[in-house]
Amino acid sequence: MTIANAPRAPARLPLPAGLSVAARQLSGVKILIPFVALVAVWWAIHAAGQFPERVLVSPARVWDTLVVLFSHGVLAEYISTSMSMIGIATAISLAIGVPIGFLVGSNRYAARGLEAFLRYLQGVSGIAWLPLVIIWFGFTHTTTLAVVIYTLVVPIIFNTMVGVRAVPEHYTLALRSLGASRMRLITDVYLPGALPSIVVGLRLGMGYGWRALIAAEMLVRQGGLGDLIFGARTSGQIDRIIGGMALIGALYIIVDRLLVQPLENLTIARWGVLRK
Amino acid sequence: MMAVPNSADKIVVSGFRHFFDTEDGPVQATGEIDLKIRAGEFVTLVGPSGCGKTTLLKAMAGFIRPTEGTIHCDGKLVTEPGRERGVVFQELAILPWRTVRRNIGHGLEIARIAKAEREEKVTRLIDLMGLHGFEDRYPHELSGGMRQRVAVARTWAADPDVILMDEPFAAVDAMTRLTLQEELARLCAATRKTVFFITHSVDEAVFLGDRVLVMTRRPGIIKAVIEVPRRGLGGRDWESFTTDPAMQNIAEQVLRLVRAERGAADADEKREAAAVAAS
Repeated sequence: MTIANAPRAPARLPLPAGLSVAARQLSGVKILIPFVALVAVWWAIHAAGQFPERVLVSPARVWDTLVVLFSHGVLAEYISTSMSMIGIATAISLAIGVPIGFLVGSNRYAARGLEAFLRYLQGVSGIAWLPLVIIWFGFTHTTTLAVVIYTLVVPIIFNTMVGVRAVPEHYTLALRSLGASRMRLITDVYLPGALPSIVVGLRLGMGYGWRALIAAEMLVRQGGLGDLIFGARTSGQIDRIIGGMALIGALYIIVDRLLVQPLENLTIARWGVLRK
Repeated sequence: MMAVPNSADKIVVSGFRHFFDTEDGPVQATGEIDLKIRAGEFVTLVGPSGCGKTTLLKAMAGFIRPTEGTIHCDGKLVTEPGRERGVVFQELAILPWRTVRRNIGHGLEIARIAKAEREEKVTRLIDLMGLHGFEDRYPHELSGGMRQRVAVARTWAADPDVILMDEPFAAVDAMTRLTLQEELARLCAATRKTVFFITHSVDEAVFLGDRVLVMTRRPGIIKAVIEVPRRGLGGRDWESFTTDPAMQNIAEQVLRLVRAERGAADADEKREAAAVAAS
């Protein structure tokens, strides 16, 4: 049997080993440039003006404080509180959000009806719920979790719904004519079909959720990096505040780049055509 | 007229008419259609765009319920899709997140066929469809022709009695299409399936079909049935088709019927446009 069409070459040609390492290092340097610039400006401003300790401290001082906090195990405590909160909130949000997104997405009328409502909920941010949730649950981890889950779950529901609705109808028709049950359609078509979109929702949600978490921690004061920087304010510890802020950003980047983005890339690489 | 099911008839369509609900009220998709397809027969259907070809096929597949009339497959009323009626679509309907092998074996997986048997069947179809060496590729790594081969192989692997094909080769380039048509003819000769095949192309319809049905413009009815004398099992290639005067005569006859419909459809359109302009 003849093969009329040769397959196209794979989209990404692997670079020669040495070249790709060099390219990666270059892009690594590129990422660091703005950070270095920011620290340099900060250093210069601090060196130029005679600032009291309660207003601005040097980058070196912040670094030293972070090292001290870290060596006493204090930092690990605050970080693990924040990380476990975002972890738990993410797990619960996925467990709630994906099924709801599926239910809504598989019903055209429900999807249309709920779209405006979900957008509305996104407008009423998690932080806006804090006063009410504090009245209900007090200054507890439950309050923080409730606010973060609320923030995380809406983009997950929304993107799951969008993902389910974007699955081409002929995928499901084809499978039904192969004898697929409803359950089969979910596991073999809707779930993998919606996965890239679910991951996008997860990534967005974790971005919003992380911010909501820090804000909630500042008010609830039950540990976490938000608590660390807000607590330092009362005692005027500028070094702790700036150090904590730097960590908040760093942890977000680490989680996003090392966990969520690889997941996203994996689904895109695998799903290829679907997201074109 | 109610058709009486006969044991030799695989598919019996009787008194079929379909309407679509739109915001402006129901729109008639097809006229009344009666049709019988015998077991092992390859029936092709040509007709102008929008004549209701796909509607008829979707009803045969069980994706839609006919507004009027019935469709029986093996004497059983068709109400939903079923494994005994495979479908090959015009759009790419293989799953982009499954490799060629896992796409082809999907129907067998759904039918809970044991892995060893599944692998054996899949490998046979990979060989038959010239997909050897591409088993572990994903669809986006294949050409359009290769993807459509995978779709055909997936349907055949599930081993349905009836295969419904809706312009399966419309989206591939002309040269590849010729090859795919020859491969399909050979595959059908080797497996003796009952096939119902929709197309725009007169040549394709006559080349593949044992019987060619010509549909009128919307709301479509079957206006002519042309028998194509059976060719030898091996002799189905474009070279002998284009040099055989008998085949060319049939193709010309079908072409005239289709062109008459297209001309009438154009005239309809002009008349409607004139009526709209006048009002």
